[in-house]
Amino acid sequence: MTAATADVPFERKSIIPIDPRTKIFLTVTVSTIMCTGGTSGVMVLIRPVLMAVPMVFLLLQKKWKNVIRFSCTYAVLFAAELFLMPMLFGAWSFILGAAIGIYTHMLPGFIMGYYLIESTTVSEFVAAMERMHISQKIVIPMSVVFRLFPTIGEEYAAIRDAMRLRGITDFREPVKMIEYRVVPLMMSIANIGEELSAAALTKGLGGPEKRTNICSIGFGSLDALMFLAALGCWVGYAV
Amino acid sequence: MEKNSKLQARDLINVGIFTAIYFVLFFASMMLGYIPIFIPLLGLVCPIVCGIPFMLFLTKVKKFGMVTITGILLGLLNMVIGSGILVLITGVVFGLLGDLIMKSGNYAKWKSLLLGNGVFSLWIMGYYARMYVTRTAFFASMVDGYGQAYVDTLMGYTPGWTFPVLIVLNFAGGILGALLGRAVLKKHFERAGIA
Repeated sequence: MTAATADVPFERKSIIPIDPRTKIFLTVTVSTIMCTGGTSGVMVLIRPVLMAVPMVFLLLQKKWKNVIRFSCTYAVLFAAELFLMPMLFGAWSFILGAAIGIYTHMLPGFIMGYYLIESTTVSEFVAAMERMHISQKIVIPMSVVFRLFPTIGEEYAAIRDAMRLRGITDFREPVKMIEYRVVPLMMSIANIGEELSAAALTKGLGGPEKRTNICSIGFGSLDALMFLAALGCWVGYAV
Repeated sequence: MEKNSKLQARDLINVGIFTAIYFVLFFASMMLGYIPIFIPLLGLVCPIVCGIPFMLFLTKVKKFGMVTITGILLGLLNMVIGSGILVLITGVVFGLLGDLIMKSGNYAKWKSLLLGNGVFSLWIMGYYARMYVTRTAFFASMVDGYGQAYVDTLMGYTPGWTFPVLIVLNFAGGILGALLGRAVLKKHFERAGIA
């Protein structure tokens, strides 16, 4: 556990106290509106706000390194759009324009999703879903997915390093490229999965009794504010 | 594995694990979409790549409901990352259909697995459906962000009659993915003893 999260209560990683359900709703809001919303009318105002919101959350979470990384990405994107685009024409401007478009559309939702995973513990997530009375059949696999995303990232980074040492780095041999990454990744994830099931069963998952949870989740005034703001964005999106 | 036909906690955890890998590989394959010419091909490419985890998944659980839950989860995840509600609907529908087909062969008969994966892969059509069902709105929203040239090209590649073609491509991708998945399973996972 890092210093940034040491001062918050046990089983809570989020520094500002917002409910996991609010975070999920905000993620859907940011990603959907940014990906499929228009760019005229009120959206001129909403879009920059929605771009800024995930960054603000990351700042509040004290993820300095990632804030800098994402800011640099944004800076490069905008610089490319402003300075590089007018210099290009034909196919190149078209490919670059599309790439920039996809990035600026997807990045805010991506950052928000990153914040959601980074600032929520699995226990909180499970507690939130149980409050919504979702069936265990969805809650268990969903929390596993939630738990595994960061792990898959770490494992993949390690495999990529190993393959770089062996010189399997380019797309000249696409089959090898995919096989030598996907297969080891699945091997390690399958093993991690076994261990994860063993650990979860030890903790009484899937037992006949209802499990208790020490996470104190619930909606506060901050959540209400977030919901109102998000609803405002949806209204702007709909008109 | 015990003779219980209901999904146990262990099975649900396995569903989660493979859904996570499936989603990550799917997302990685989607990155090909940066080049517009590849967008219609994504329906073919994604299920081929995703066939690898899916075939391993099918050796692990073998109980009714597994594919349906995977479909629901994939739909939900895609909805959270902003792909609209249609993906959730196709996820549920084709997850259930794929599940029924595979169930008919007790998750063991190769033909039912092959066909089941083909049908299950059709959940990806939820992505494309936006391009056809709400065509004008969808393309209008893209003009500012992606540039008129991109939209024109994409529209040029995808006239209305290509929708059934995409469904066929998508289905073929699922079949090829199952074949690839089985080949990889034989080559690597069975030898390593994890299948």
